[in-house]
Amino acid sequence: MTALSEHLLRLVALQDLDDMIRESKDKTLAKKLEDMGFAMGGQEDLQAARDELATGIDKVLLSRYERAVKRLGRAVVPVTGNICLGCFAVIPSAFVSAENQEKIQHCENCGRILYWPRGS
Amino acid sequence: MTREELISLFSPDLFIPKLKSTNRDDALQEMVDHAVEAGVIRDREVILGMLKNRESLGSTGLGSGVAFPHGRSLAIPKLMALLAVSKKGVDYGAIDGKPVHLFFMFIAPPVEKDNRYLPALGQVVELIRDDASREKLMALKKFDEFKAILEED
Repeated sequence: MTALSEHLLRLVALQDLDDMIRESKDKTLAKKLEDMGFAMGGQEDLQAARDELATGIDKVLLSRYERAVKRLGRAVVPVTGNICLGCFAVIPSAFVSAENQEKIQHCENCGRILYWPRGS
Repeated sequence: MTREELISLFSPDLFIPKLKSTNRDDALQEMVDHAVEAGVIRDREVILGMLKNRESLGSTGLGSGVAFPHGRSLAIPKLMALLAVSKKGVDYGAIDGKPVHLFFMFIAPPVEKDNRYLPALGQVVELIRDDASREKLMALKKFDEFKAILEED
């Protein structure tokens, strides 16, 4: 794994954690899960995990991530079938080589960070 | 979600009949590693981190020997369901403090076209509340037995 892809994986993990924090505060969703029997009470622990993860991310990248979250709601988005699932723009073929998928690339249309999950 | 649709989410490739681990973190790791070997997951650490973070909200071990590790991650392109059985039991920090013998792991992408994640999770939680179904599921040895139990329920 290259150093660059490690940065990308940290951003993916941060986006997952931010999504989880947001979902845990969504009263409708939390009630659904609580009705199933799941406790939803450790938000402080999630925030602490988020803060710790953020300290391991390059400051410039983190700042770009935070700006994208403020502007677009979500900073990292999956690519499926060469479509950015943030804005549904087609990703240029030059972006999609296996080598380039390991790099931090931004959607030319919406500016979100692109991530190719396995199988897409 | 119909019972057939629920069954179709599971596959023999993602069935672990004899989980070796005896504590929570090792068990999560063993299940994620199994999914990596099956070719369903590439970015192991991202998924593992997400599952551990989810446990910090509250244990997904709902008691009576069953746990439902679950969550959403960018690192999965479509809903994944994994089933694992532990004879020895896993010290999972379940809400009743008892060891866990049966695991249903659900991992979903942040956005799903058909929105099957929560309905599937809810249906399995409902299923294991039935004592007879739960007992049968905890004695599973083969994947086909799982399908048969769900079909007859």
